[in-house]
Amino acid sequence: MRLKPIAARLLPHGVLILFSATILLPLLWLLRVALTDKLTAYKIPPEWVAPKLTNFVEIFTGYPFFNYFLNSVTVAVGATAIALPLATAMAYAFARYNTGGLPLRLFVLSSQMLPPVILVLPLFALFLKAAMLNTLTGLIIAHMTISLPFLAWLLVAFFEGEIKVLEQAARVDGATRLQAFLRITLPVAAPGLLAAGLLSFILSWNEFLFALILSGPQTNTLPVGLSSFQTHRGVDIALLSAATVCAILPVFLLMPFMRRYLIKGLSLGALK
Amino acid sequence: MKRILIALGVLVLWAGVAKADTIRILMETVPDTRYIQELLPEFEAQTGHKVEIEAISYIDMHSKLVPQLIAPQGSYDLIVVDFYWVGEFTKAGWLMPLDDLAARDGINIDAYVPKLMDLVGRVDGTLYMLPFYNYSMAVIYRKDLIEDPDEQAAFKAKYGMDLRVPETWDEYWKQVEFFTRDNDGDGKRDLYGTVIQGQRGDCIAMQWSNYLYSQGGRFHDENWNPMLDNEAAIKAMEYYRQAVENYSPPGSEAFCFDEAFNVMAQGRAYSFVTFNILYASFDDPEASTVVGKVGIAPNPGGGLNGGWGWAIPNSSPNKDAAWSFIKWAEDFETAKKRAMLGGAPTQSAIFNDPDVIAKRPYYPILGEILAGTQDFPVFTYTTEFVEEVGRELNLAATGEKPIPEAMAAAQEEFRKLLVKDGKLSE
Repeated sequence: MRLKPIAARLLPHGVLILFSATILLPLLWLLRVALTDKLTAYKIPPEWVAPKLTNFVEIFTGYPFFNYFLNSVTVAVGATAIALPLATAMAYAFARYNTGGLPLRLFVLSSQMLPPVILVLPLFALFLKAAMLNTLTGLIIAHMTISLPFLAWLLVAFFEGEIKVLEQAARVDGATRLQAFLRITLPVAAPGLLAAGLLSFILSWNEFLFALILSGPQTNTLPVGLSSFQTHRGVDIALLSAATVCAILPVFLLMPFMRRYLIKGLSLGALK
Repeated sequence: MKRILIALGVLVLWAGVAKADTIRILMETVPDTRYIQELLPEFEAQTGHKVEIEAISYIDMHSKLVPQLIAPQGSYDLIVVDFYWVGEFTKAGWLMPLDDLAARDGINIDAYVPKLMDLVGRVDGTLYMLPFYNYSMAVIYRKDLIEDPDEQAAFKAKYGMDLRVPETWDEYWKQVEFFTRDNDGDGKRDLYGTVIQGQRGDCIAMQWSNYLYSQGGRFHDENWNPMLDNEAAIKAMEYYRQAVENYSPPGSEAFCFDEAFNVMAQGRAYSFVTFNILYASFDDPEASTVVGKVGIAPNPGGGLNGGWGWAIPNSSPNKDAAWSFIKWAEDFETAKKRAMLGGAPTQSAIFNDPDVIAKRPYYPILGEILAGTQDFPVFTYTTEFVEEVGRELNLAATGEKPIPEAMAAAQEEFRKLLVKDGKLSE
């Protein structure tokens, strides 16, 4: 009789393990390839050899990988640092004053409806004129064109929620609008802002097309750097895996800390 | 926050400072690019120019290049052009003619292998590029198996002919059949006669071309009439389909050269029809289990010609410096050094240079392979051609479409593109 509850408990776990495995196994395999060489990586059946760190050493010594890394961090942090306050202000204006009405909101969203390849060529021409090609500034601006509208739309939901009631309560107690915004609205919306900021960071971190076309050798970001391991004489799979592991690492390390906020932030908007 | 902003500002300024008198070159991540990079200090010491090479992967090159070429002034002083793009780039007027510069500085155009000069050098009589390296295709085979006396005896007993480096297609195909086998007796094949790279588009279009030439077929006649549905083309496709079904590892109809290379490098195939530039990798113990066991020979009936050329785009900010770089890179001595590092030469004399042969004894064979190659159609829509025809070839290779039907469709797609380009009327 006790079998049934055990089975009932095992079954969901089994399903969950299966799901987790589909996500985790490729990552573990990636790690495994990163620790071998190309020859071993392709052996069938797989051959297990002592892991070695030579690939990691090579990507940092033989390739400007550290530079790619630094560029990616600069661009992702820069784009987020500028886009987040602007998007917050824009979202607040939309939620409270209905600035520009529906047309302006749709206008902001419209840039998200275009395939990026349509935006990238005009941007290229503009940056060419402004001498901003191959600069990190240019890339930060380009990534903002992706993250700013996205963040503004995401954040409108937060400001339209229960926060509105809290803010009204503060106003009744005599706070000015600015005080209410700074002391009530922002702290309450903080998880949402954090989640939005993180999403913006990840968007920029993974972005490929803009980075490919608008950057140069000194300003290449990680995704562009990673793609160069795919060569006409084959894929340097071991080096590529090592580089990918390094590229995933920051987001991977950030996740456990941010997960709480991210989920809360996302559901906060959805439940409204 | 303030500190972060200041730090950002500093970074942004630092990145924005343009470097003066630097030659900027966009290249592909291939060994020949690496050899140039290794020799760069020589050029920098000679001329005082700084050189900045940006090497990216092939699939991203075209999208990175086109906006640069359209712009009145781009970021690259010098570029390299794959033969696929020659028609498009020259017709769009993006490349600078080099005839005057070459004449002024006495560049010997005749030093180049004529086939490469026609492919990635001159277009309709105008010199737009100097050939940089070649990636003509050939048969890479297992030398140790061909030289094994037991195999030789068994082959002779079965086919009544000697086992040797194949000179005719019939001979090669018998070897492919002969070596496809189950060596350890577990009921599963562990050695394949050949490896197919049958993925749609580029991969199959490149490899199948060799099958077409082996049957005496051509893509078109001298008046650009397509010849993809004639007997030779159909015969070539039948061989290719046969290989997919019987003589190549399962799944190879979706392979590109990298997957196929690994089958051969893991010792699981007798032969591989592919780019000559892959050959050196089979002797790299980090990538291959068959080090010292492979040889290379011309494809019977001729292999596919391929190559890259140096070109100065009209959007180049510093054309003089770019030209001085080309002159250095294509100087006989530099070109020879590149070959000795393992580069794929374009000048006839390098293939038979004693110093090169002393270091790399197989280079005369590479010269022979190049001399015997056949051309792929180069016109404005080569890239589209590869996509359309590559799709039909793949459908035929997997058996999803009957061969005559697929070849008729390929013929029609080719004809439409030629009409669009004005090469054919109606």
